[in-house]
Amino acid sequence: MMQLNIPDRDYLNSGHVGCPGCGATIAMKLALRVLGEKTVVVIPACCWSIIAGNYPQSALKVPILHTAFATTAAAASGVRAALDMKGDTETTVVGWAGDGGTFDIGFQALSGAVERQEDFIYVCYDNEAYMNTGVQRSSSTPYGTRTTTTPGTEWKKTRKKNIVEALAAHRISYTATASIAFPDDMMRKFKKAMEMKGGPRFIHVFASCPTGWGVASELSIKIARLAVQTNMFPLYEVEDGVKYTLNYKGNRSIDEYLKMQSRFKHLTEEDIQTIQEMVNEDWQLLLRKIGP
Amino acid sequence: MTTAQASSDHISLLISRSKISTEINKTGSWCFVRPGYQDRTAPCSAACPVGEDIGRIEMLAVQGLFKKALETILQENPFPAVCGRVCFHPCEGACNRGEFDEPISINKLERFLGDIAFLDGFGPSILNLPNNGKKIAIVGAGPAGLAAAYFLTRLGYVCDVFEAADAPGGLLRWGIPSYRLPSDILENEIQRIQNLGVRIHCGEKLSEDFLIEAKERYQAVFLGCGHGRSTGMNIAGEQMAVDGLKFLYRIRNGEKLPMQGTIAVIGGGNSAIDIARSLIRLGAKPIIVYRRRKQDMPAFEHEIKMALEEGVQIQELLSPVRIDQDGSDYILSLQEMKVGEQDADGRARVVPKDSKTQSLRVNQVFSAIGAEPDEVWKVPPEKIPEILTLSHCTITQQDLPIVFGGDLTNSNKSVTDAVASGKQAAMALDTLFQKGWENINDRLSECRVGNSPALSMEIYMGGDRKNRSRHIVAYNEVNIDYFQPCNRVVSLSVPLQKSICSFDEIDHTLSTTGAMSEAQRCFNCGICNGCDNCRLFCPEVAVTLEDNKRQINFDYCKGCGICVVECPRSAMVIEEKKV
Repeated sequence: MMQLNIPDRDYLNSGHVGCPGCGATIAMKLALRVLGEKTVVVIPACCWSIIAGNYPQSALKVPILHTAFATTAAAASGVRAALDMKGDTETTVVGWAGDGGTFDIGFQALSGAVERQEDFIYVCYDNEAYMNTGVQRSSSTPYGTRTTTTPGTEWKKTRKKNIVEALAAHRISYTATASIAFPDDMMRKFKKAMEMKGGPRFIHVFASCPTGWGVASELSIKIARLAVQTNMFPLYEVEDGVKYTLNYKGNRSIDEYLKMQSRFKHLTEEDIQTIQEMVNEDWQLLLRKIGP
Repeated sequence: MTTAQASSDHISLLISRSKISTEINKTGSWCFVRPGYQDRTAPCSAACPVGEDIGRIEMLAVQGLFKKALETILQENPFPAVCGRVCFHPCEGACNRGEFDEPISINKLERFLGDIAFLDGFGPSILNLPNNGKKIAIVGAGPAGLAAAYFLTRLGYVCDVFEAADAPGGLLRWGIPSYRLPSDILENEIQRIQNLGVRIHCGEKLSEDFLIEAKERYQAVFLGCGHGRSTGMNIAGEQMAVDGLKFLYRIRNGEKLPMQGTIAVIGGGNSAIDIARSLIRLGAKPIIVYRRRKQDMPAFEHEIKMALEEGVQIQELLSPVRIDQDGSDYILSLQEMKVGEQDADGRARVVPKDSKTQSLRVNQVFSAIGAEPDEVWKVPPEKIPEILTLSHCTITQQDLPIVFGGDLTNSNKSVTDAVASGKQAAMALDTLFQKGWENINDRLSECRVGNSPALSMEIYMGGDRKNRSRHIVAYNEVNIDYFQPCNRVVSLSVPLQKSICSFDEIDHTLSTTGAMSEAQRCFNCGICNGCDNCRLFCPEVAVTLEDNKRQINFDYCKGCGICVVECPRSAMVIEEKKV
């Protein structure tokens, strides 16, 4: 952290009601360490609308605007416009939504706002299902996952949507993936995004969910790290939608990651092999974009 | 008036705003386990005969705090520059990093810190107790005697060391060739001991009468005079063999001893290797003749390897039966041996192979099969009521307390074990005076490092190390995700062709950058180095940092356990909350 010159200060309060070991909470904590006091956070319906506290409490030391599920990007655009009207160009506006509010319900608002080149950072903290309402599948839920809406043998048979590629296709100035298990990398990316004012920046943060994934709370960081180490969730950045930079090369096999989580415990060795092939395919695709 | 206008006139816009913190929710009530900070024992320090706090030493070295690192060594060992050269470093064999890539070069780092102390002129400040008025006589200024004097002086005793030779150092000065341990290095470290106030009286060979006179002037005696006489081979013509230890003494005494031809060196210990390597430097072709196999040799593996590289031949499974003179040559008759069953101590027993013998024509024969006490009073008496046999010394209560230490009692005859002996004796005597004979065992066992016999003077003197858990951190308790494979640094050394032509030191000391990057590889098993992972990851912001001390706020800790798992070095524990 010394290299990044980030003040040693947290803008997250104790006493919030996140589950023990909550990855989304750690994501917010790390992000706000970088973003600092001059930040407005816009939160739609998601885990974080609960973690942020019951009225009249707040779990953050910065202002939060709670908004409807589909409207994070639109509300963030409005907050930005209001700040600009006041002549405040310093404050960073951050849209902070889960995967449901980003990949599914908030997608059209997000796509529209980034196409309009709205000046905000949009963060999707991805715990790979609608966790707050009790683990319903989203389009971010990976192939092979059992959720309450993909139960028993009807576990999810479709792939996870690649949201980073969708955003990169909008040719926005900065798109990146980050993981709570790689805090230095994650905080560097937030700093970079914060300094790239003038347009939309999108950061996709992998935020483990011990409760929803069936992992012991103490392994929350470890499982997030394994996702990167197995190339399930590669760490990379895309500038202007075309310039790719890879931040980490994983080399571990996917079964180590899958077998630690009860959401995957029904998978046969064949299923695991299928997932390994998907991971390999996506990885090769990414490497091609990164180039030599 | 439109409907819209009417409503905006009568109903004001309400935006609810939270104004208070969630901190009023004491989420600590969710918790059914409690994480906590607990420094634990690193395997290297438990393997070290003197129990040096290696994990902490390397941590301080990484931070560039060399003086503090040196002081941490000096808590447990007055000879870092010496041991950094001659120790057989069992620490490296126990190093958890060995399972990951290669063990930390602990021995070379110790040497670096020992040397930098003199290059930079550190005046180390470590805890020494004020003079308590008691005087101790120490017989022999070898590593055991000097260590005993060092530790006893730090505990407040006045020590007189009596040395038969005309300079202190014992085996360090006379038995180890200078290519392994240069004299100035030894002298510097002895000087540091003398600076504490230890008085060394050289040229004083004591007799048994001294033990009787001593009680007039001293409250206790430590005997660390080592073995003065080479062990005999009990074979015909034995008197024609040169005493190897005397030979090493003459070299260290500055005598020019040109050698030539083939010379047989009988023995398999470190002395045999030292003699053979010295003979190479004097121009001879040494052949080591050993009755067991190469892998059974008590000499340190590294030393055997170096000897072979330098051109020493080793002939194994040959037991000398007689020496005959033939003109100016000697004929060594050797019984061929074979491996039999295992001994009780696990070593392979060798037995004669039929009646096969062979003979070896050489220009000289050197013997180096070991040493034994030269006078009976240097052996612990057997039939006295008050005798306590400890791992590294034997303490007896005769007219006054007499401790037998160093090579007189140590089963492992290494320099570091000799230092351990001096330390154990110091603790045992101090406990005897403070708390009585019956408390020695208990008091000493409180000062053990992990489950090993190694004792810590820092623990004895009530330092922070006493709070450390005895649990020895295993490799699978280290979070290796925080470490990258990285080869150990290699120190430069004089090329072989050059090194075998002189008695100059072969290996160079690590550079500062080399030492720091090597220390950086250390896992610091069980020792918090302030990496701050626990505080960084805590989702509850329940880890506080004040005055460089981290604490867990149990008002909010939900007991998720991330801090414990993400501690790279296993310096945290979690336990069930007591209701």
